[in-house]
Amino acid sequence: MVTSTAAMRSEVRRSRLARSGLIALALGYVALLLVAPVVGIVWSVIRGGIAEIGTTFARSDVIHAFYLTAIVAVQAVVITTVFGVIVAWVLARDRFAGRSIMNAVVELPLAVSPVIVGLMAVLLFGRGGWFEPFLAARGIQVIFAVPSMVLVTTFICIPFVIREVAPVLREIGTNEEDAARTLGASGFQTFVRVTLPNIRWGLLYGIALATARALGEIGAVLIVSGAIQGQTETATLYVLRALEERQEPSGFVVALALAAVSVAILGAIEIFKRNRERKEKTG
Amino acid sequence: MRFMRLAAAGIAVGLLAAGCGGSSGDTAQAASCDPNANPLTVTFAAYSTPREVYGKIIPAFQAQWKEDHDDQQVIFQESYGGSTTQSQNVVNGFPADIVALSLAPDVDAIKDAGLITHDWTDAPDEGMVSSSVVAFDVRPGNPEGIADFNDLAAPGVEVLTPDPAQSGGARWNIVAAYGAALRGYAGNDKDDEAGAQELLKNIFSNVTVMDKSARDSIKNFESGNGDVAITYENEIRTAQDAGLEDEMVIPPSTVLIENPVAVVDKNAEQHCVEEVANAFVDYLHTPEVKDLYTSVGFLRSTDATEAQKGGDGFPAIKDLWTVDDLGGWDQIDTDVFGDDGAFTKAFEEAQG
Amino acid sequence: MSLEATPRGGLAIPTNPRTRSALPPARIGLRVAAILYLAALIAVPLVAVVTTGFRDGFGSLSSAFATLGARQAIQLTIVTSLAAAVINAFFGTLLAYVLVRFRFPGRGFVSSIVDLPFALPTLVTGVMLVALYGPASPIGAWLAAHGVHVIFAPLGILLALLFVTLPFVVRTVLPVLLELDTAEEEAARVLGAGSWTTFRKVVLPALRPAIVGGSLLVFARALGEFGALVVVSGNITGKTLTAPVFIFQLTSQFRQPEAAAVSTVLFAMAFTLVLVTDRILHRRAPLW
Repeated sequence: MVTSTAAMRSEVRRSRLARSGLIALALGYVALLLVAPVVGIVWSVIRGGIAEIGTTFARSDVIHAFYLTAIVAVQAVVITTVFGVIVAWVLARDRFAGRSIMNAVVELPLAVSPVIVGLMAVLLFGRGGWFEPFLAARGIQVIFAVPSMVLVTTFICIPFVIREVAPVLREIGTNEEDAARTLGASGFQTFVRVTLPNIRWGLLYGIALATARALGEIGAVLIVSGAIQGQTETATLYVLRALEERQEPSGFVVALALAAVSVAILGAIEIFKRNRERKEKTG
Repeated sequence: MRFMRLAAAGIAVGLLAAGCGGSSGDTAQAASCDPNANPLTVTFAAYSTPREVYGKIIPAFQAQWKEDHDDQQVIFQESYGGSTTQSQNVVNGFPADIVALSLAPDVDAIKDAGLITHDWTDAPDEGMVSSSVVAFDVRPGNPEGIADFNDLAAPGVEVLTPDPAQSGGARWNIVAAYGAALRGYAGNDKDDEAGAQELLKNIFSNVTVMDKSARDSIKNFESGNGDVAITYENEIRTAQDAGLEDEMVIPPSTVLIENPVAVVDKNAEQHCVEEVANAFVDYLHTPEVKDLYTSVGFLRSTDATEAQKGGDGFPAIKDLWTVDDLGGWDQIDTDVFGDDGAFTKAFEEAQG
Repeated sequence: MSLEATPRGGLAIPTNPRTRSALPPARIGLRVAAILYLAALIAVPLVAVVTTGFRDGFGSLSSAFATLGARQAIQLTIVTSLAAAVINAFFGTLLAYVLVRFRFPGRGFVSSIVDLPFALPTLVTGVMLVALYGPASPIGAWLAAHGVHVIFAPLGILLALLFVTLPFVVRTVLPVLLELDTAEEEAARVLGAGSWTTFRKVVLPALRPAIVGGSLLVFARALGEFGALVVVSGNITGKTLTAPVFIFQLTSQFRQPEAAAVSTVLFAMAFTLVLVTDRILHRRAPLW
């Protein structure tokens, strides 16, 4: 046991030093690893001139790239949300043999590198692919066209909504839904009026995660799209091209824009959630 | 609750947008089969290096077409990448109406797949629109003293050249090294095939990375990797025009690179744009466009003896030859790139 | 089992929590929909990859690995991913500890920024590194002049992986730390143990599953990273060519069976890790 006051004082000083040291180390790591690159790109964009931002966003290929990114993301997110809720429901509420397999399958896309997703699409829809003869006979273009881009982005986004909604469904239990049922509500009414409000934060957060992921997809679309400027070039593909064409400033502008949108979406959900939780606590 | 309704409305709008956007996106090509539609959409697939020059040529063509055709607008959807990759993509369904590739075999691959139905060489300059030579991109001041292909084989020299399975430029580079050696340059005896193969082996022992296209390769070099990049003369010119410090060294004996352009008939017919596609290809052979190509370093002459002399900002070359001097591409495909080809063997040995 | 409202308008709330809350046909419909969705979108494509890759036994796999640089690509991927896992295990735990136990100005900011990599597109991460350390930036030029290459060099790959995977360990360790009862630590201190000993003998063992789980996630995630590396790595065979970029090359060269073989190996590794991690973190278990 420490008895001498001098020893105690130096012990306190040492632990305060250690404390500051640890904080400094942690903050230093975050500053070097995370903050520096963000500052770097913002500074590069500013250095390239604010005018560059205007000219970049006035370009028709940039506008189309953002438009295409949005279209592909919306389709992928809608599909994975609708079916994601269904799968989450089945995982949380249903009991059947093979549920653990289903759960494992849901986790699979997280372990698959995006380039492998692109390869999968090529194997199914490219020339000599499993479904290619069927589609070619009907004149349907999948690879080098938007449908393949939607498909690969959908695959990649599958786990997000499911993983956010299923635990919530399990936690809230079926009491309220059963109550609604006894009051005569149909399954659908119960879902919309009782279940959805209860899972809304998990659902919204899952949608936000899926959207951010879809906006940023590069590996798979690089393989399947053909990067046709003005047709199958997404914002991320545009950034790649800008760097290749030695137009780094406009590439940086678009990259920063993508980052800002993704961060805004996730940040907004976080803020809403915290506000609601605060209201629920006080109200 | 209001939030939920807002969210639901948002999703509904999204669905609508997706439905309209998605369908218009993927049927844009197939839907309009009216050659008088305004605007017309043409898909243009090219190799990786001529981005900048087509960035100038295409607007000029669009303006002229608009004037001559009652304000009809032509939209060009461009795609750039390694020549062989682009060629294979078109064979596999990429809906290109016009292809501008690095070398004739890549266009022939598309013809062999039945997508080009006319004789594309039956055009001015046998279908070639631009030319260049294989050259070396070195560091300012040429610290390694690179002068010829055998300097690339010296121990400790790091060489950049693209992947011949994806890039047309890569194949030109290999042909140039091989041909120069056979012609008695690069420290090799004339007609010594074994020596030429040895040269290839030693060069490729020094290759540190094989990028997927010529453009990727030179960008890799510019970011500080390697001592020398083998590339097109016009690629180095483009970099210099962009203010970068690439320095060019042309070996004494090198090959005349000739780049073909052709209309992909089957696709152009399907999209009802044959007229405008053919007009564009014809446009590329006109004197104004030739001047434009020349001004950015993309056109020596498509005649080897003329090109050798230089002029118009191009340095003279000691010994400039064409693929015909090696027997033509068919012969080269066997002798150099075939299963028993000089490069195939050399590359295997270099790996070991 | 019928549920009826009591005559006076009250509710007969079923007490059995396992009451089926949907009619059988709807329930089966949902189940079928879920199965078809997952089968069509996940199972079929994965089967396509595995069968294409192993169509002729291990032939495609061995010819893929015979390619120049293939073995080095796998090696580089594993080494850099391992390094990222170890480094972020240390710093992730440190960050979590500092965020939970200490109060300091900017704590909220740091807590939010740790989640930033989850929000950012991976390509943007690579572009940021190019902007900061590329030859055109003053920092990049200064470093290069002193022999430190970041872009198109292994250091850049490591930085990109560290950036992208930082949140994983923090997010697994933080909740555990929050719930940790400090009674044991106080007891240790009363008994005369120094802070470091207390941490080592009391806190660390409690955190170990979370740290290990988080690190495995880092490793699995880093194995498959492509977007951040495509502009940073430079594909230098033997130095900066990673497995995902190698798969991309094989696919671009239309060597599908070989690409599929290497892909199967890569995702089998990653998936095994994800499953093991879930078990360690007891995360998915509560689902049923």
